[in-house]
Amino acid sequence: MNVDELVRDSLREQADAQGPAVPGLADRVLGLRRRRRTRRIASIAAAAAAVVAVAVAVPALESGGTTDVRPADVTPPNRISAHPDQSPPRDLIAAGRTALAAYYATTVVPRSADRAVSTRTYWLLNPTTKKYVKTTKWSWVAVAPGLRTAAVLEQELPVRRIGLLDLVSGEVKRWIPVDHAVGGLAFSRDGRELVATAYDRNPDLRVKSSGSEGWQANMEQSSRTGFYVVDVTSGASSWTGIEAGGGDFAVGNSRQDFAFSRDGSRVWAGTPMQPGYEYYSRQGDPVEPPAGEKYAQWYVDAGLSPDGKRLAGDFAGKKYKTSSWILDPRTGKPLTETHGQQLLAWADDSSLVAWDIGKDGDEFHQRLVLVTPGSEKVVVLSDFRATGDDTLGRWEPVFADR
Amino acid sequence: MDAEGLEGFRDFVDSRSSALLRTAVLLSGGDRHAGEDLLQNALAKAAGRWHRIDEPEAYVRQVLYRQQISRWRLKWPRREVSVAEPPERGAAPDDSAAAELRVVMRAALSRLTARQRTVLVLRYFEDLPEADVARLLGCSVGTVRSTTHRSLARLRSLAPELAALGPADVEQQSSRDYSPVEVRP
Repeated sequence: MNVDELVRDSLREQADAQGPAVPGLADRVLGLRRRRRTRRIASIAAAAAAVVAVAVAVPALESGGTTDVRPADVTPPNRISAHPDQSPPRDLIAAGRTALAAYYATTVVPRSADRAVSTRTYWLLNPTTKKYVKTTKWSWVAVAPGLRTAAVLEQELPVRRIGLLDLVSGEVKRWIPVDHAVGGLAFSRDGRELVATAYDRNPDLRVKSSGSEGWQANMEQSSRTGFYVVDVTSGASSWTGIEAGGGDFAVGNSRQDFAFSRDGSRVWAGTPMQPGYEYYSRQGDPVEPPAGEKYAQWYVDAGLSPDGKRLAGDFAGKKYKTSSWILDPRTGKPLTETHGQQLLAWADDSSLVAWDIGKDGDEFHQRLVLVTPGSEKVVVLSDFRATGDDTLGRWEPVFADR
Repeated sequence: MDAEGLEGFRDFVDSRSSALLRTAVLLSGGDRHAGEDLLQNALAKAAGRWHRIDEPEAYVRQVLYRQQISRWRLKWPRREVSVAEPPERGAAPDDSAAAELRVVMRAALSRLTARQRTVLVLRYFEDLPEADVARLLGCSVGTVRSTTHRSLARLRSLAPELAALGPADVEQQSSRDYSPVEVRP
């Protein structure tokens, strides 16, 4: 017998010894994709404010809607604040216009034998001390441009009031009541408005489904009911009822939050169904996406560059082991391939903050880096996050303009 | 994915996943769990582009091969496999010796690098010609040949029991291309 014959026989014997694949594998795979996307949309909505403005203004927190407006950095700082030895970060991480305004990690907290809640623990940047402070008070945090104000939701979603938190003092300065309970928040690009997504049930609920191990998001039963557009200064809000669409065969995230389009004229949400997004007018009528956002992948957080000339794209992996496409927003065609496994936020018109892997090659073992398309230069901003899902070491960034 | 796509994807997985799993387990050096992870990731990738894929099985297989070689996509890329299977009882002496050799061979296969094992699986389990292996893995035919050659030599060094076996066909050919193996993920 030749060695190759023995290799052949051994492989065939080993293959024949395998039992069939687990039943329900297709649904398990679809569930895997949805879980990944659930994590992504969570950061999309929270990072909506990362799209930068030349001049942004954050309304005052004082109740009563005074005209006192505090400008954020009109001239964006270009300094890089990196801590390659820190994970989770303790001190400010920032590059160009964008800063790691907060981060969170999820843990699954069982509530009964078959129900649990994916619960976020946040670390919020104190803009005075430039250190991150851990808190378990909030189920959702959206940080406004300027890094001084956050909109928060209390635990046990959905909730009927939105808090405006002063990130320096850690105090809620004002509560905005809402009739329809909400579960997610995102600021407009100028920080003057919030879009709040309403749900009937907790969008972070997890259940045990047959054929799957562990807790799963309940994908076929989104309880989304609509959205509010809230004027932050006055607290006035307008309600639009929109259920999770798609019909009987829709695959949706149980959390499927709305956010503003870049120009603030529309409200949109990602969806795993084609074309991958749904856009509405502020009155709730289905509309086309704005120019420049037609080819955006909703799970690529960075989106359009500040000057609108480049669009952060999906994973590429051609030129480098881990890399992403930079697209022409007018055509959706690749302009170049850049370092970075997942593009998170534009630091300026020519560089982005991204997740990327290290020399161990582990896809799940990532750190924050600053990459420049067209350049080999990669600046490490943080240490590696932990690989285990639903552990406090696996932090998810929330970026905002500083 | 639209309703039609979902139905097509489910049909494909239901009908082909067991066959694909066999390959995935072999690529993972006999580790069933790692094979399931590998297949699950490949299917997830296929699901994301389902409407753009003309030949799902060819696509998933290519993802399996390349994913396994690039390794970075695997969460536990260096999971150890322990093989401690006794030869089948009650077999005739000759059968017993052959079974024992196959056990030794399986243990040795599990200790190859991912790319060495992938090339052997493609050549000897899938019975693909060198040119097809090269196309699938995105490398030259010479690289496939030299990797096969090296992999068989490595098997012999890992298991001295295999030394008595005759040389493989590929080992009798002159293999002049010993350039480093370059495989794109």
